[in-house]
Amino acid sequence: MTGRSRVVLSQLAIGLGLIAISLVLVIGALRFPPEMGFVILGAHVYPCAVGAFLGAVGLLLSYQACTGGFRELDASSDDSAQAQPGGRLGAAWVTAGLVAIAVLISLIGFVLAAGLLFACSARGFGSRRPLRDLAIGIALTLPIYWLFNAGLGVALPPLVNAWI
Amino acid sequence: MDILLSLAAGFSAALAPINLLWGFIGCLLGTAIGVLPGIGPALTVALLLPITAKVDPTGALIMFAGIYYGAQFGGSTTSILLNTPGESSSMVTALEGNLMARNGRAGPALATAAIGSFFAGTIATVLLTLFAPIVAMLALKFGPAEYFAILVLSFTTVSAVLGASMLRGFASLGIGLGIGLIGLDSTSGIARYTLGVPELVDGIEVVLVAVGLFAVGEALYSLLYQKEEASGRHRLTSLWMTRADWRRSIPAWLRGTLIGFPFGSIPAGGAEIPTFLSYSTERKLSKYPQDFAASKGQGAIEGVAGPEAANNASATGSLVPLLTLGIPTSATAAILLAAFQNYNLQPGPLLFQTSGDLVWTLVASLYIGNVILLVLNLPLVGLWVKLLQIPRPYLNAGILVFASIGVYGMRHSSFDLLLMLAIGWGGVLMRRFDFPVAPVIVGMLLGPMAEKQLRNALSISQGDWSIFVTQPIAAAFLGLTLLVLVVPHLLHARGIKLQEDD
Repeated sequence: MTGRSRVVLSQLAIGLGLIAISLVLVIGALRFPPEMGFVILGAHVYPCAVGAFLGAVGLLLSYQACTGGFRELDASSDDSAQAQPGGRLGAAWVTAGLVAIAVLISLIGFVLAAGLLFACSARGFGSRRPLRDLAIGIALTLPIYWLFNAGLGVALPPLVNAWI
Repeated sequence: MDILLSLAAGFSAALAPINLLWGFIGCLLGTAIGVLPGIGPALTVALLLPITAKVDPTGALIMFAGIYYGAQFGGSTTSILLNTPGESSSMVTALEGNLMARNGRAGPALATAAIGSFFAGTIATVLLTLFAPIVAMLALKFGPAEYFAILVLSFTTVSAVLGASMLRGFASLGIGLGIGLIGLDSTSGIARYTLGVPELVDGIEVVLVAVGLFAVGEALYSLLYQKEEASGRHRLTSLWMTRADWRRSIPAWLRGTLIGFPFGSIPAGGAEIPTFLSYSTERKLSKYPQDFAASKGQGAIEGVAGPEAANNASATGSLVPLLTLGIPTSATAAILLAAFQNYNLQPGPLLFQTSGDLVWTLVASLYIGNVILLVLNLPLVGLWVKLLQIPRPYLNAGILVFASIGVYGMRHSSFDLLLMLAIGWGGVLMRRFDFPVAPVIVGMLLGPMAEKQLRNALSISQGDWSIFVTQPIAAAFLGLTLLVLVVPHLLHARGIKLQEDD
């Protein structure tokens, strides 16, 4: 167990973050437009309560962070758990893939955008054969596209027509 | 007997060939996705939700039953073979089951998990059949004050009882409540916390948050913080259980079911408590204590049989509050609730009155789903094992593609995909700092419900807040809430912890 006087900065950041969110909730609620008619419980009451709740929790967690860290922390969340080497790059690739599909899906269609997501994610998880990954990705997304469009009626964006 | 008649009608609807087909497909898909490491039943149901979008309600319900059970079995398979439980409730299965697998007894472990689940599921469904209508009738007497009190109790138990830290559980709950606030307030018509973004006016979908936290969050977290585990090849010798296996498993199944169902059906949180309790019970009662993991044994079959049965019974039990009160008590139940709402079905006591036939069809399909699971999955275990041999990069990439389909399929919104990514990163933070995830989902769904009931209650009482303590049932639930908050601290002070200790 860590000493009681140690300040764990990363945990303190979380606690302060929660307090910040609670402030957003409360201030936002107080700025709601006034309501017309008979109001039994205004639209701002519940959000303020949630904000107060979250703020209290954030305060307590920040206090814990300043006095030796969160209590009863699972061993795997020990802050000596280092990030894996190359893990950050992998996470960046996965993030890039998800951004790509979000931005491109309505532009180049589901098949290509999801194929791109597949390739980027595979890269993130360690695969070093980008062209092959892209090919496999498209081989996966193409039948899914047919299945969803023709079979299930869920319209995924096309590149050209209903077949691709 | 009214109930039997309704159930019979449900069966006749469920047994139509086309519906059976949907059941098979659901079971297959549920198991296939549930098998994938890191994907638990909640996420599986969430991912497969868009597929059911265009199927008619009866067929869709049957598909859900198949997916639900398939996902649980898939999760057990991964726990036993790969030691990667998809959910915390599968952790004990992984403990004993994987030990058995590493000693060449993967087959019997899987068999006892499947048969135990069937056994528990069937009995639990019978109990559901008997109790649900009674609870629904009682629930009709509940007014908004009672509902509000139950919801507060549910919030508290989900956040406070599970996991190591009550405070962090409450933090997750708070975040979930906050997310639930985003969107149009139905009573006043004010758009809350939408930051001018039009997509947020309808609020954030539960499935989006679930997929973001579970799929994307897990993927990112495993990249950042988890070491590559060499997944050993497991010799799948034979699936048959020996006489001794049967003798040890059957009582464990019974005990597991009896432990699991009550826990699942009360508005307490989740399937972890019953599975841990079952494991402890089996360990204490076993005639072969030397087999257990903690005694460095070969893996005790009752350590798989009991918890698996408890898990399944608890999952079925959680359908009781879901169907009768409309209150989900686990992340999976929350997703099912979202699915019901997609079909404009509002679970609750009125559901039995207005769409009674649909409810009974669902119950019938639960029975059928259990049978399908047993018949289909045991022989196909070899296939599921093959699935696990797909190289990890492709497996994870495929999961992310499915996650994107699931989220995009709901509202065809690129914003939703970006939101999913952001929530995924939030999930990484939560995992890193040991914040439980289930309270977020429960908070999101139940928060708006609680606000509505609060308003209704105050309308009826003309603004009098004492209604919550003067109405006896409501006061009782609130009293229980206080107990739940206080008792763990008292126990803890006496050195008793509500966690599995080894």
